[in-house]
Amino acid sequence: MLAGIDYFIVISYLIGIVILGYYFKKFVGSSSDYFLAGRTLPFWAIGMSIVVSDIGAFDFVGVSGQAYRYGISVGNFDWIGSVPAMLLAAFIFVPYFWRGGMYTIPEYLGRRYNSYVRTLASLTWIIFFAVDLGVLFWASAVLLNVIMGWPVWVSILVTAIVIGLYTYFGGITAVIMTDVIQLIIMFIGGFTLVFLGFHAVGGWGGLVEKIHAMGPEYQQHFHLIQPADTKTPFPWTGILFGLTFVMANAYMIGNQSIVQRCLTAKNEWHAKASMIFGSGLKMLIPVLVLFPGMMAIILIPDLKDGDQSMPMMIKHILPPGLMGLMFSAFLAGMMSSVDSLLNSTATLFTKDIYEPYINKNASDKHYLRIGKLTTLILLILGVITSPISSKYPGIYVAIQTFMSYFQGPLFSILLLGIFWKKTTQWGGFSGLVIGILIAFTLNIFKSRIFTIEDPFLYVSWWSFVAGLIVTIFVSLFTTPHPQEKLKGLVYNLTLRNNLNK
Amino acid sequence: MLNFDWLKGVSQDTAKIIFLLLFIVIGIVVLFIPNNYIFQGIKKEDRHWWNNLKWWAITVLTILFYIYYIF
Repeated sequence: MLAGIDYFIVISYLIGIVILGYYFKKFVGSSSDYFLAGRTLPFWAIGMSIVVSDIGAFDFVGVSGQAYRYGISVGNFDWIGSVPAMLLAAFIFVPYFWRGGMYTIPEYLGRRYNSYVRTLASLTWIIFFAVDLGVLFWASAVLLNVIMGWPVWVSILVTAIVIGLYTYFGGITAVIMTDVIQLIIMFIGGFTLVFLGFHAVGGWGGLVEKIHAMGPEYQQHFHLIQPADTKTPFPWTGILFGLTFVMANAYMIGNQSIVQRCLTAKNEWHAKASMIFGSGLKMLIPVLVLFPGMMAIILIPDLKDGDQSMPMMIKHILPPGLMGLMFSAFLAGMMSSVDSLLNSTATLFTKDIYEPYINKNASDKHYLRIGKLTTLILLILGVITSPISSKYPGIYVAIQTFMSYFQGPLFSILLLGIFWKKTTQWGGFSGLVIGILIAFTLNIFKSRIFTIEDPFLYVSWWSFVAGLIVTIFVSLFTTPHPQEKLKGLVYNLTLRNNLNK
Repeated sequence: MLNFDWLKGVSQDTAKIIFLLLFIVIGIVVLFIPNNYIFQGIKKEDRHWWNNLKWWAITVLTILFYIYYIF
């Protein structure tokens, strides 16, 4: 439970975030300001925002729980599962999107393929983000309730009001600049726990020695590369093919809430630099979320549920005052994830659905109002629908799984769209639709087809391969867009010329 | 085939070498990107070694290489 000093820290943090976020209201005068910060932001702010948006309160618990069960191999997701993809995004994809003045990834798909692909991709993201919003609210609030004893509805309402205030008025500028503070808070809280944890287990040497001494089942706990026939969800084959080649790229290149941040950069160099700077920070995340789980193996052995390792570590290790800091770190994780979903969904709806289908020739001020209104409606919907999660406990995992199956086919058409000018609009459309259907089929029959515990990495890889094959096959029998239409959208017709300058 | 059974004979050490080689290949590709492209958006007189994104990327890859080399 929190002490007085903890409450002081948490309340100061919340008030500070509202004031900071609200301050950025004065920079919002157009829809470009609201959705792209008027393309004025520096790389360091964007890089920090990318990293903190990617990690929520739930990840603190989930990843440390997996580290408790499987060891360091879960760190693959933030190391090889992020860094190469962020470099690919920085040097190839982000410059395309930035130069094109795009607001959304589906906008690129619409220009490269057709409006069906754009709408399908956009609607999928909108539905996912909107449902995820309520789930995220509830999951994080329950977590905060377990760890700190705060009532669920207090957590939901307080965070919704704080997030609502700065996101509604300040748009993406407020989201990114508050994320900078959220990341600093998260790092201070997280590293304090890790530092005190190491002290308790006898340093790095003590951690390694004591875990190895716990028995044969712990001998793989310090191996990032797990055998191909491991029963854990992280065989090296899945990590290489499913994670490194597909999921990581799909996430860093095809995820609206990530890429939209880079599009706010003040110039192309800052857009590229934001991703590379972010990749450097991303490498620190496993230290925060993974090591507490491994320390718990020694300090709190025989936990029935590995996901209890982080909450128990906080209770065992942190003194009053630092508890409040850690609580703020959890809130920071939650708020940075929710504000990203809000702003990205508002952008997708306004730019990909409202503008082309509902009101085509309205003024910029009108689209700004729609963006703000969408943000507000989404926030209210998120709060109202959040209790649904309590009735369907598997919904969080189901949504994340669904999204991982959408990403493989999406990445296949993004990749072919940029690197193969003969990819046709119907090739891309078929690849996306059939790829998603194949992912669902593999998921339905996963217990019969796959031998590992949770084969989401394999499903991503094979649905990506299916998307590639179908897109290529259909493209060979249909007519591509004329070259004039593809300028600025395909590597051969723009980027390579620029590389040779 | 869907379970990558054909790669089950590959040892953990060999797999580690594959991962390390991947980082080296990415690093080499990064080094070959022309400076003009790397510096797009920065005036010629403001281009220095410390804002050359190639070196940022190489630094990040070196740390990653080291992590995978140790673990």
